[in-house]
Amino acid sequence: MGTVVSFHLEPGGCPARDARAAVAASCARLHELDALFSTWNPESPMSRFRAGHLRLADAPPEISVVLELCEEANVLSQGWFDPWAMPGGFDPTGLVKGWATAQALAVLQTAGVESVVVNGGGDIAVLGHPCGSGAWRIGIRHPWRSEALACVLEVDRPVATSGCYERGPHLINPRDGTLLSRTASATVVGSSLALCDALATALVVAGDDGPELARSLRGYEAYLIGVDGEEDATGGIVFASEGVA
Amino acid sequence: MRRAPAVVAASAAGFAGVLALHSGSRPSILSGSGPPATPVTSSPTATAPITGSVTPLTGAATTALGNSEQYGYGVLAVRVTVRGGHITNVSVANLQTAEQYSQLLAQQVIPVLRNEVLSAQSAHINAISGATYTSEAYAYSVQSALDRLGAK
Repeated sequence: MGTVVSFHLEPGGCPARDARAAVAASCARLHELDALFSTWNPESPMSRFRAGHLRLADAPPEISVVLELCEEANVLSQGWFDPWAMPGGFDPTGLVKGWATAQALAVLQTAGVESVVVNGGGDIAVLGHPCGSGAWRIGIRHPWRSEALACVLEVDRPVATSGCYERGPHLINPRDGTLLSRTASATVVGSSLALCDALATALVVAGDDGPELARSLRGYEAYLIGVDGEEDATGGIVFASEGVA
Repeated sequence: MRRAPAVVAASAAGFAGVLALHSGSRPSILSGSGPPATPVTSSPTATAPITGSVTPLTGAATTALGNSEQYGYGVLAVRVTVRGGHITNVSVANLQTAEQYSQLLAQQVIPVLRNEVLSAQSAHINAISGATYTSEAYAYSVQSALDRLGAK
């Protein structure tokens, strides 16, 4: 998936030696999933499925699971998340990273880890609480300042952020220099990291329709930053107030 | 079947090139003086040599330009040359960096966010959520160039 996954384990739950073994197992699972879903490797099951060379019935079960999640995300997002409309054919990448990160966390949970954050390239899966209680503090990347954070959120559920801040000039209308996208960053907090990932992408793509779409998502909270810096958050978003330097 | 390892070698060299871009605030891969006023750059300034064995090649070299791909810090497109069934050269034909994008944004004044934290280091956070970078752009661009060349 061409990304970096980091693990932040809190003490407790299981001995350090077991925790290390659990992280190793979690990494192994991530490599398996990468091999399954790589759209770059033409021999991966996902590539062969996209190309029509592998029937769903013959594919590893993970492919069906992801397909169903993609359909769910497509419906939830009112069509704004549409992996079937990608230029190169069906491409679930916008959901798989979040899903795989959640799978990595599940491996740790099964192994007895009680308190952990797994950060899969900006998609955050959480389990338990930091230091035994309280909420996790998750910084949201600032769309335009690399050393800064847009804010810090307090969460006890997964978080995913999508943005177009680093995606280059293709988002600028070459005729008049105006920015084509209205949404610079969209963060979604909810129970399923796979859906958070897809919905964050959908909210960026939806542009002006993002705020209304965000409020239609039951069970999911959203924090949006417009290209003009205007911020919008649904009622369940909790901004950390202390510890801000 | 020969295509896959050849592309892997190209990608590995390419990743090194892309990573090198990240190390400085101003990509050394770009030549020329002064920031361009508009986000347009198109010059074959960098070459990523292909590692691996070089066997005597026969036949004419053919070259194709790959698709422009987002690579996290901007957009890039590579030019791939194939000769005798081998990739003989991969160069960055088009590179638009996020810095140019940032300059454009800077011209419009970066807005101050209500809860913004100026230093991520001081915020006592457990993780950072944000859109991410990928080096696969390079690989995709190489792949599309190979497709154009009909490489096998």
